[in-house]
Formats: sequence, structure tokens, C-alpha cells
Amino acid sequence: MGKNNRITIFDVVNYTLFALFTLACFFPFYYLFINTISSNDLSSRGLVMFYPQEIHFSNYIQVFKIPGLSQATLVSFGRTVIGTVLTVAASGFLGYLFSKPTMWGRKFWYRFLITTMYFNAGLIPWFLVMLKLGLINNFLAYVVPGIVSPFFIILVKTFVESTPISLQESAQLEGAGNLTIFWKIVMPLITPILATIAIFTAIGQWNSFQDTLFLVTDSNLFTLQFILYRYFNGATSLATLMQSGASENLANIQTATSIRTTVSMVVVIPILLVYPFFQRYFVKGIMIGAVKG
Amino acid sequence: MTKRNKWTAAAVAIIAMLVFLSACSGSAGSNSGSNSGSKAGNNAETEVSPDPSEQPEITLNVFSNLSNYAGEQPGWFGKLIKDKFNIKLNIISGGQRESTMMASGDLGDIAVAINIVDATKAGLLLDWNKDGLLDKYGRDIKEYAGQSLDAISKQYGGGTAVYAVGHNVGSGSGPSEGANMTFGPWLRWDLYQQLGSPEIKTVEDYLSVMKQMQELSPKSDSGKPVYGFSLWSDWDGTGSMNVGSIAALYGYNVGDGFNIADLILTKADEAKWQGLIDENSAYMRGLKFFFEANKMGLLDPDSLTQKFPDVANKYSDGQVLFAQFPWVTDGYNTEEHVNEGKGFAFVPFAEEQMSTVGYNPYGGNWYWSIGAKTKYPERVMQFMNWMFSPEGVQESRTGPKGLMWDIQDGKPTLTEFGYKAITNSVNMPDEYGGGLFKDGGNQINNSTLNLSTINPETGEPYDHTMWTSYLENNPNPVTKSWRDAMGELTVKDYVVKNNKVAVQPPYFSEQARTEEPSSIKQKKSEVGKVIKEYSWKMMYAKDDNEFTRLNEEMVSKAKGLGYDEVVKWQAENYEKTVGAALKK
Amino acid sequence: MSNQPGGGSKMEAKLNDQAYTSVAMKRYPFKEKHKLFFMAFPFLVLVFIFSYLPLYGWIYAFYDYRPGIPLSQTEFVGLQWFTSLVSNPYQMEEVLRVLRNTFAISALGILTSVLPVIFAIFLMEIKNNSFKRIVQTLTTLPNFISWVLVYSFAFMLFSVDNGLLNNLLMSMGLIEQPLNILGSDNHTWLSMTLWGVWKGLGWGAILYIAAITGIDPELYEAARVDGASRFRLMWHVTVPGIMPTFFVLLILGIAGFINNGFEQYFVFSNAMNMSHIEVLDLYVYNVGVVNNNFGFATAISILKSIVSLVLLFAANSLSKLVRGEGVI
Repeated sequence: MGKNNRITIFDVVNYTLFALFTLACFFPFYYLFINTISSNDLSSRGLVMFYPQEIHFSNYIQVFKIPGLSQATLVSFGRTVIGTVLTVAASGFLGYLFSKPTMWGRKFWYRFLITTMYFNAGLIPWFLVMLKLGLINNFLAYVVPGIVSPFFIILVKTFVESTPISLQESAQLEGAGNLTIFWKIVMPLITPILATIAIFTAIGQWNSFQDTLFLVTDSNLFTLQFILYRYFNGATSLATLMQSGASENLANIQTATSIRTTVSMVVVIPILLVYPFFQRYFVKGIMIGAVKG
Repeated sequence: MTKRNKWTAAAVAIIAMLVFLSACSGSAGSNSGSNSGSKAGNNAETEVSPDPSEQPEITLNVFSNLSNYAGEQPGWFGKLIKDKFNIKLNIISGGQRESTMMASGDLGDIAVAINIVDATKAGLLLDWNKDGLLDKYGRDIKEYAGQSLDAISKQYGGGTAVYAVGHNVGSGSGPSEGANMTFGPWLRWDLYQQLGSPEIKTVEDYLSVMKQMQELSPKSDSGKPVYGFSLWSDWDGTGSMNVGSIAALYGYNVGDGFNIADLILTKADEAKWQGLIDENSAYMRGLKFFFEANKMGLLDPDSLTQKFPDVANKYSDGQVLFAQFPWVTDGYNTEEHVNEGKGFAFVPFAEEQMSTVGYNPYGGNWYWSIGAKTKYPERVMQFMNWMFSPEGVQESRTGPKGLMWDIQDGKPTLTEFGYKAITNSVNMPDEYGGGLFKDGGNQINNSTLNLSTINPETGEPYDHTMWTSYLENNPNPVTKSWRDAMGELTVKDYVVKNNKVAVQPPYFSEQARTEEPSSIKQKKSEVGKVIKEYSWKMMYAKDDNEFTRLNEEMVSKAKGLGYDEVVKWQAENYEKTVGAALKK
Repeated sequence: MSNQPGGGSKMEAKLNDQAYTSVAMKRYPFKEKHKLFFMAFPFLVLVFIFSYLPLYGWIYAFYDYRPGIPLSQTEFVGLQWFTSLVSNPYQMEEVLRVLRNTFAISALGILTSVLPVIFAIFLMEIKNNSFKRIVQTLTTLPNFISWVLVYSFAFMLFSVDNGLLNNLLMSMGLIEQPLNILGSDNHTWLSMTLWGVWKGLGWGAILYIAAITGIDPELYEAARVDGASRFRLMWHVTVPGIMPTFFVLLILGIAGFINNGFEQYFVFSNAMNMSHIEVLDLYVYNVGVVNNNFGFATAISILKSIVSLVLLFAANSLSKLVRGEGVI
């Protein structure tokens, strides 16, 4: 219809607002980035505002020189891929199971699951349980505890419930088992929410460092985020040192803001590279809606 | 079908990856397995080989609350102990991790600066007297830190067991700090000289001097406004840390160095204490000082909201003229600046009684201890012994002898390479571990023997910045001008000879310190929070009336939350222990 | 317990051997329900291990717990950590202040939770695909920057000494004295909410974008055939399509009313704004964690869990009452 091609006031306002908000989101990031590639001296004096000056990459070179980075990248990559696959699969499957009113004790078990979102036992009991399970210095500690995530299961369940039930029913009549129905009928329908969960989990896995901090002492299992976090926080133990006058140590471990920023960039840039791949799943879907109409 | 293939391929890839990664962690596990095997062999012999470097390679887990590093000890220090002991150190950094390690019952092979009261109570530490470990392998510890061993044995081991040794052990008279001391004040020497070095009697006199200096230099290198003072809040404990630094100029410290006493100030060299926010306490004087500074436009308005790195940047740019601590001036005292004659230097005031800590033969309380579950008690002890030996202390501080330093004309001297390496302008040679000197240093980050004590093998202090050869080596114009004016080589020489220090004598008690009862613990954090909050509000009060009003509010709130009770508890402990000792 | 239905299903199965497919529909619910449960069972075991097992640690709330030392040698304090919160008027005032902050910031958070919905709906109205992609990618960026870094950016922008904003306003002659925005207590709740929105809006919208993608395209088609305008489509197709997701998130949000998180408030807090920025999680940090007071921190954590669960079920009942269905 011709109506759709007309540019209305609404469109102008809409585009403008989105452009402004996007700028507000992008600028800080851009600002931090240009500061990492500008002369550290100018940058620390706050003189780099809108464009890079005296471009150099020594901050990045310095960050890439941190020992153990390549092994850590591999571990990070591994936990992200494996963790995401496991979590997405489990969330999809459980979300589907819990969408079936026929499940034995469904309400109870669903609540059993959901309420855990609001429990927090605290650091020490959690640590001791992980210790008893042998999850100290163990790669599985990165991926197993996150397999069942109540929040994602809720999302999937809600999503499944909004899809037409008739497809499942007819498959059932044809004698298909639950697994087949899940795999053949439900999965294709819930791709958008699974893609969302994949993004959420992948980012969570990629960015996580707390588990490494407490559960891992073996440097073969350090993650990228952990190594960078440690670097990032170079200044935190200053306060402790301060109190005893071990002053000569202090100057050595000051971490420049530029390095902190660089570290953040190093973490975010891989995300930015992978992100458009996931985006396909949304944009494509939206287009179908639009084209058909 | 193609879709199915894709999924199959993905599944295969993931399984492959899982196998690979679990192989990684598996190999780590089997490593320790084989280690325990070799350890069994060692145990059978009961005696370790006399040449430590001939022994099988092991990795020791070192938990250090002072370390900010995690992973294998890198660089020259790592290489040094690998060659000497065939030991690798796996550093585990501290923080909240301490509580999980304590809870798990395993503190690793070496534990540094942990809560020793709870750790001994929980039986997590190795007794060094067991199987004569200390006698066999700890000769240097016994020789150089014997009093510390005795003291700790009495405090925590019932006089028989030894669970740890203190840090920063040393004996002698006078301050135990390095050449620059811990507190200042340091001012921009060039500007102070331009003003004709006006006399400063009390700490408040700095204010007018700072005002004049600000007028002399209203803009920084990059054209920003200049302040007298720039503070930061991210290191505050109970109260403002920067305010405490002013109290320290009158010999008062927050706490007493032994008890949990962070709501009282104690005099370093006398049996005197004050409640932190008691009227006319040294802390309140510091608060008032910064309040006056703010009224005069001398206090950086961002002090409240900035973090330490921002302050460091401001010093580098020349935006700040007054330094409470010597080490904040490093950013400004660069080669470029000092060669132009611009730089910070120590400018004392007549009344100054800089708080310092005396040599402590009992050692400080960042204890070195060995985990009860270690598989290699002998090897750990051998290594720790070296850390407390003159050779170990010197090489840990200055780096390998021959490369970094040597004896020239009977005096320890940095080599030409050494001078370059300590400023981190050249890499260490690869056969010494490579990398920058600062990155390759001991990452456990705790001291053993005090670095100002004399190394019996060289006749000079362990700290190379106190060596005569170092001090006489080409001083920069600022240092030279300062030395000419003050008539001494170092700040330490000056304050000691001119009696500007309040030296806290070492304290020893057979009783371990009293731990906070649960009710005191919580009240203290509530009160501390109030003091911290109001301290900053008062510094930025608009006028005297607001200052007074905020002061009254702070006192009434703090008292309402239990200030008096906590102060009473802390003061009682102080008077029973450190205070009583000072009276004698 | 499981014998009864199990036996029943066997009997049923026998019966059905002789019966025809029309009966099969009937027997399904019996066998089916256990099958479904057993498929979920391994996952429920994981939940038990990782979420329920550690709860034994709640006992620390009744002790002056010190890590490593067995509870038998630890001071038993009873309900002291709980009662200490209301031990005297000053203390109560503190707790009330903290709760006030928590509620205010949470309420603002719930009010602004419609923003991602609006964001997603209006983003769909952007017809230019590359623009849409750019917007969607770039607006998620703030989510990837840690709060520490957000603060250092905020400091660059708003500091008194050389902040971008102050420089700008001063050079335009709009103000004479620089503003100390970060060091003031004006509109603390609002500014914290706005920072949160800025950081989370683009990211939060992803969920709704996914929900919109899942809407059956035929619904749009049918509505268009009926001559519905663009806004009618939004209101009658898109909005109902994402309502289930919105309500689920809303209810979870209500249940999380007292969990504001900690990091954001920690980095932005200072002496001036502390009286309005100190939310419960920051308070627990300041009083419990900093001081290694595990007993106190656990006690608060228990209280928080209880309140959250009460809120969760209350919100769920309300939803049942209003919408005719709950989410849990």
C-alpha cells in the first residue's frame, strides 16, 4: 500500500529520537576508544574529546603482552561456546516441558525452579558445595552450574505458550514422541527466543570472572576476563599497602586509566564482531512480518 | 538433511572441544598427582638434597592477601627461584578469597598476611617445630628473625609451636622507613623557593603559603586550574584517609598497630589516645584544615568524586601543589620536570612530629605462614629461609647480583644496567627471565626483613635507594637544591637529626589481640560510615556555621549508633596493651 | 507415592492394548505426565545441588561466623543480627532511610520498565534496515561497559574541574560557577534511574524484539486486510503479542523489588549523595561485606529472600486476579 511509503511526521520524530539515543550510547564508547589510541599524556589530561590525537597502539600492545592471554582466550572461547549451547538447549527443552500442563507436579516443580532466582546462600556455602563437587580447578565449573537458568526457562515457556498448540497436537496424533515434537515442531518456532537466550548466555559467559576468581587457581584455566579484570584492578590493593607504609610498592602498581579503558575495549570488540550474526534472527523475522503485510 | 548435517557437525565440534578442554584441566590435575608421587619419594628419604636446585621441580601455591597477581610468578624473580630451588610459585591473590580458602580448610603451601588468629584456631597452619623443620632448614630465619619466631610462638603457639614469622623484621633505633619516609608534607620546591622559603610553624601555616604558591602558578602544564590540595575518597576506611594523614604529622595514627582500634587515634611515642571525632582531636584538626583550605579556594572541588588515578593524573599535570604522601609526587617528579628545576620536595613545619614506625624485632602482622596441608614442608621451609637471608632479601629487592648490582670499591652499587632497569627503561635479559624489572618482581608483595636494616654482607641497607653510591649518583637539580637548603642527604636523615619524628616503638605481648565481639563489630561499621560521610561534608561546608552544624550532627549520630561504646572498647584494649607498654 | 499412579498407568496400558486409538488420547495423560517429569528430573537435580544445597549456609545468620572455625566453637548470637537492625532509634532511622532509597529507586525502575517495550515497538517501525541494525547494535554498547568505566566516563563529562559539560556551559556564558553534578544530592534517585536506563535500554529491548519476531505474521496480514492503520497494528497486534513477556518480566521485577544490585550505586556513591543512594545491597556491602561480617550479611540475605518470595507470590496472585492467569 502506498500509505507505507509516505514519510510522516511520526517517522521523522521516530528516526530522530533513535538517532539521538544511539549517539548517546555510542559516543561514550567512541570517546573511550579514541582515548586508548591517543597519546596517553594528552588523554590523561582530558584533552582528547572528539577525535584521536597522536595515534598510537602501545596500550593495546601492552595489553596483548599480558602473559597467558592466548590460553585464556581459548578457555573463554570454550566456555562461551559450550556454556551457551548447553544453556540454550536446556532452557529450550525445559521451557517446552514446563509448558505441558500434563507434567507430573508441574506447578510444584516450576515453582521449585523459579524461586531459586531469589535465593542467595552467600559466598562460603556456595564455595564449599563447589569444592565437594570437585569443581575447583575444573573446567566444568564454568558451564555446569549455569545449565539450568530459571529466567531463561520462564522466557521460553512464555514463548512456547504463545505459539499455536495445534501443531503439537497434530504431531502427537501422528504418534510423534515428546523429543521429536520438541525437535521438529517446537524448536523452529522458538528460534527468536533461543537466539536471545544465546546472546544473553554468551555475553554472560564471556564476561564472567567471579567464578574464576574463587574457583580456579590453575593458570591453565584462567579466562580472558579474569586476567583482564586482575589487570584492571591493579589499584585495588593500594589501599591495603598504604596502611603499612610499604610506599615504594605503590608507584609500581598504579594502573593508568588508559590501560583500564583499553582492557574494556579488548573485551567488548569481540562481542561486537559476533553480535551481528545473532541479529540476523531478529531482523529476518521482523522482515517477514513486514513483507507479508 | 543439510540442516541436520550442520547440527551434527556442530555437536561433533563441541564434543571435541569439551574433550580438549577437560584434557587441559585433567592434565593440570594429573600434574599435581605426579607431584604428590614425587613427594612420597622425598618423604621416604626424609632428608632433602643439600643442593636445592637438584631437587625435582615443584609448584607451590602461595596465597597472599597482599598480592594483586594471580598465576605463576613471572620474570626475573621467577627465574631466580626456579634456578635456585627448582620451585615455581603459583600466586593466589587475596581479598574475599581468603574467607573461602579458610572455609575450605586448605590455605595452600604458603599463606601470607592472613588472619592468623582464626587460622591457628582452625588448625590450618603447619607447626614449624614439628619434625625439627625450623632447626633443619630455617637457620637464617632463626638468626635474623628469631625474636619474631619467639613472640609468635608465645602468642599463638602456646610457647612451643611456631606457626608463622612476622614481616618487616628488624632491629635498631629510629624510624624504620625508607629514605623518603611515609608522610610529608612535600611541596612544589621550585615555587616554595620563589617565595623565599617562608617559615612554617603549624600545619595551618601551609594554607597561606599554598595560597601564594597558587598565585605564582595559577595554571597547570596543560592550562588547567591549580589547587593546593587534591584528595580522594576511594581508600577511606573509618573516616577519611587523607584527613588522617594530617593527624599523622602530629604523631597521631588511626589505630595502634596491634589492636583493632580504628575509631581512636593513638600517639606514636606516648601513651595517649583520642577518640577519632572527640573535640580537638588530631583528626578534627585535619578536617578543619581542609575546610579552611576549601574556603580559600585551595581544595580541588572534585576531591569527593574522583578516584585515586584521577588524582595521580592531576599531580602529573602540575595541578596540585601539596602532597600528604611522598609517593604521590612520582608522577610530577619526572626527569623532564626535575631537570627544569621543577619538582616536589619535603618541607617540614616547626611543630612537626611525623608519625613513624620503629624497627620491630617481633615483626609486623603480615605474617608468613605455611599451610598445614602442604606436601613439601621441607622445600617450603628452605625457600622461606632464603627469603629471610641477607642474600634473599637483597636479591628480592634489587635483583640478581652481578646483573643489577655489585660490590664496587667495597660498596654496593647499581650497575649501569641496574640504573636503567630500575627505572624500567630497559628489559631484563632473556636468560634472567626477560620483561621489565617491575613486572618481574616478587609478586607475593610482602616484605621479610626490614629493607632499611643493614645487610651484613654489604654493610649498607638492603634498600638500594639508601645506598651511598645511589644517593651520590648524579642528583637532579631539585634534589640538589633541597640538599643544599636542608643540609642533609635524605628526608630520613633530616627528620631524625632535627627531631621531627614520633617513633612508635615495637610492641610485643604474649597475648594475642582481642577480637571484636559481634555487637561491637557491627556498631563500628555503622559509626565509621557516619564519620566518613560527615567528614567530607564538613570539608566542603559553605561557612563556619554549616561546619559547626554538621559537626554537631555527626557527633550526635555517631553517638546514637554506639560511638562511645566502641571507643571505650578500643581504648581499653589499647591501654591494656600498647598503651601500657608505652607508659613504662 | 509413585506406586499409585505407576500401577494405574500399567493397568491403563493393559486396558488400552485391547482398545482402539480413540482411547489412546485418554490414556496419554497418565504415562505422559511421568515421562515429562523424568525428562526434567536430571535438570531438577542440578537445581537442587546448585541452588538448594548451599542454603544450609543460612545457619550462619545465627552465629558470629568466622570462616574455617567450626560452628561449635563459634559464638551463637541467636537473632542478634536480625534485631540489631531495629536496636535503637538511630539504627532504625538508618534502616528506614536505606529502605526508602531502595523502594524509590526500584519503583522508578519498574516505571521505566515499559521503555524497552516502547523502544522495541518503535524500532519495528523503522523501515530502513541498515539504520535499524545500527541502532540495535550501538544501543547495546553501554551494557558491555562495566559500571566502573561508566563512572570514569561520567566523571569526564560532569566533573567540576574540566568536565565537558561545565566547560561547555561556562564558555557559552550560561553559568559562572561550575556545577558539581556528581558531588550533589539533587535528584539522586532520578539520575541513578536514568543511568540505568541509558545502560540497559537497548539490551532490555532485545527480549521484546524477539517477542515481536515471534508474532504470527498472519495476524498482521489479517489486520491489514481489515484496513487497520499503522498505529492500530501496533496497538492491536504488536502490543498484545509482547504482553505475556512484559508481564512475566514485570512480575519478576516486582519480586526483585529489594534487589537493586550493588555496583552502580557503589561507584556513584559519595559523602554528599550517600543518604539517598545507599540502597539495601550497598548497605549490606558497607556494613557486612567490608567488615567480613558474614553473619550479618547472611541475615539480610535471608530477609531479602523472604520478602522477594512474598512479593513474587503476591504479584502472581494479583496477576491471576487481573489477567486471569499467573506466570508461575
